Amino acid sequence: MNLRKPLILTVVASALVGSLVISSVSASAASDPGVSASEIVLGMQLPQTGAASPGYNKVDDAARAYFDYVNSKGGVNGRSIKLVVKDDTYKAGLTISTASKLINEDKIFAFFGSIGTQTHVSIIKDINRRKIPDIFVNSGYSGFYTDPKKYPTTFGGLGTYTVEAKILGKYLKEKYADKKIGILYQSDDFGRNALAGFTAAGLKFEAKKTAASFVAGTQGSLGLATQLGQLKANGVEIVIIAAVSSATAVAYATAGALAYKPTKWAVISVGADATTFQTILGAKGVPAATSAAMLAGTISASHAPAPGDAADEYVTAFKKINDDFNKGPDKRWDNNVMQGMNIAYLATEALMGVGKDLTRAKLIAYLENNGSKLSSAAFAPLGYSKSTHEAFTGFWLGEYDATTLLAPIDGKRVVYTTDSGSGAVTVSSYKRPAIAADALPKVA
Amino acid sequence: MSKVKTHKIIGLRSTLLAIVFFIFIILLSNQFDAYNQSQLTNIATLLIAVFSITLLTGASGQISLGQGAIMAVGGYSSALLVTRLGFSMWISFILAIFISALFGLFLGLAAARLSGPYLAGTTLVMALAIPSIAVRFEGFFSGDVGLSVDYGNPPDWLTNLLGEISIEVWSLYVVLPFTAIALFAVLNLSNTRTGRTWRAVRDNEVAAALAGINIGRTKVIVFVCASGLAGLAGALYGFRGLVAPSVYPTDLSLTLLTAAVIGGLRSIGGAIFGTFAIVFLPDLIEKITKNFAIPENIGTYLPALTIGLLLLITVILNPRGAAGALEHLRHRKRH
Repeated sequence: MNLRKPLILTVVASALVGSLVISSVSASAASDPGVSASEIVLGMQLPQTGAASPGYNKVDDAARAYFDYVNSKGGVNGRSIKLVVKDDTYKAGLTISTASKLINEDKIFAFFGSIGTQTHVSIIKDINRRKIPDIFVNSGYSGFYTDPKKYPTTFGGLGTYTVEAKILGKYLKEKYADKKIGILYQSDDFGRNALAGFTAAGLKFEAKKTAASFVAGTQGSLGLATQLGQLKANGVEIVIIAAVSSATAVAYATAGALAYKPTKWAVISVGADATTFQTILGAKGVPAATSAAMLAGTISASHAPAPGDAADEYVTAFKKINDDFNKGPDKRWDNNVMQGMNIAYLATEALMGVGKDLTRAKLIAYLENNGSKLSSAAFAPLGYSKSTHEAFTGFWLGEYDATTLLAPIDGKRVVYTTDSGSGAVTVSSYKRPAIAADALPKVA
Repeated sequence: MSKVKTHKIIGLRSTLLAIVFFIFIILLSNQFDAYNQSQLTNIATLLIAVFSITLLTGASGQISLGQGAIMAVGGYSSALLVTRLGFSMWISFILAIFISALFGLFLGLAAARLSGPYLAGTTLVMALAIPSIAVRFEGFFSGDVGLSVDYGNPPDWLTNLLGEISIEVWSLYVVLPFTAIALFAVLNLSNTRTGRTWRAVRDNEVAAALAGINIGRTKVIVFVCASGLAGLAGALYGFRGLVAPSVYPTDLSLTLLTAAVIGGLRSIGGAIFGTFAIVFLPDLIEKITKNFAIPENIGTYLPALTIGLLLLITVILNPRGAAGALEHLRHRKRH
């Protein structure tokens, strides 16, 4: 190998490639990055492409649609909200790089609504040591929120998987006491957190028999035949799924192929979006009517109204904004769009609450002191305080009907509440405030 | 010229080039903003892994589609040493080299019997299997969640000396010395008798054997050296924040190979160019496309599509990569 002159030449050539993308170093402002007199810049990371992207890749467009609506009404304290989004394909290696880009190049004020537990694990320490607000994270992993001393800037955007699993688990245990209950979960913090919640509710699973796991993200390439075969062989009648939506669709399809017909499916809310479910099965050639029939009867939980609940005032208002402002490639109204809108509504409310003199420290302090008073489409309040940064503290249980609507079990919506620890599951007394006519949050 | 004198000259040149590279990157980083400084750290890290392909495939002709998996071995070794046994980060990096090299020894013993697509297939299986091991033995490797590790903060003596150092610059300071040493090692290995032996095996195994070279042993030695480098790169890569299966996916191995092919498999300068290209090209494409109203469902795939296209063009039209093209131009100029 001739390595002398060419090496120097190629090093110089490489530098030229690099130089092409050098951004000018902006003069440091006196205030925090990402906030100016006219703009607030928020950053979001999510899988826009790749195996875990179906469904979740709509959350950013929905949130942006709500922010665009807010901007059209004059913004927050005269500032418009800009949402910068990076695709991390649900791979932690890329999450680290894209986080660096959001922090250092896009100069975001705060991380907002980032999706993914195992990906967020890779950057949460760094975000917190830089004291950047990390708000309304779309992960229900309780480990991010229950110790604010460890992660002082991180606040949840979903009820924790533990809370949801405790509520769902208690119902299943009581309702199906005579049935064999098993679980299919992804072997990351999401799946394990949910598993811990179901166990806390008194359900017992036996590894390799009534509990089957898979590596998150492999459902598309490796399938779930082994796991479903295991549950079938062990006579599991009630199958709980604690996994992303794409895995739920694969699980149902696989069960069909194995002629495995559990008495009941129960799916954790983030994995039970009907549109995503039908889209994935549709791509495999399953007609919409068939996939709707497959989903019918599935039990799930939600902190917010069902997207198909046309009578709900938040659904009506958000749906209208989605129709008018969503510029994404797929703006079909569903759980993911609803969640994107709802956390954008909450973020707007929090930014309004901090006031004109917006800083990162003030936003964090505001959420800790006033977060539990923020209203949204959810039927449960945020749990934010100085001792916990957990989001929605309650869920209601429902069953999918033939039209893919999650309808309250027994026709009446009852919201249950508990904590991520050993607290009991009780009925919530929270009354959701009404949405304003202009669909903008009102802060006292 | 005596053999000792030749070795001294090669050593001196390698040292000089490594120092030039080190200073050049430092100077470049001073011109960059924080994000591009972090990208330089990425380049400095991945470059070590691409060097491992330059040695393995470029110098000795053994194809590996599993360098990302060996990076995972290095990453887990160092992270476990730090988190479970309380080792210093620096010591863990050094030990990661030896542990990965040992892994490479076992791999090399098997690989010495394989070649071409069989070897490529075996190493690809390794790239798929190793992350699963972390999940299978979850209690030890922390499963999908992985091990949270980072470069820490710069020591006081350094901040006293240089003033406040950002996280991005500190990360570069941690990685760059290792990259410079790796460059020195690769230059030395390539230009001395060892490198000539490897190339002889690559070009014609029968002729090399007739010249007295032990083919099997040579192949194993290359695997050991390349694995040591990949393991070091993996350790440095993991300390950006997390050592977990999703940090070392199968496509990481393919990305490294792409960098080596685009730059030129047989050239160390090409490895540097290729690594710069794969790290900076997505940013460049984003900057260009930002001004056009490209639909989101096309825009998100553009970087991967462009790099894929570049790889295809390189393989079809210019198999020797950027370094080969440069060499060709120099020859045309001369004649």
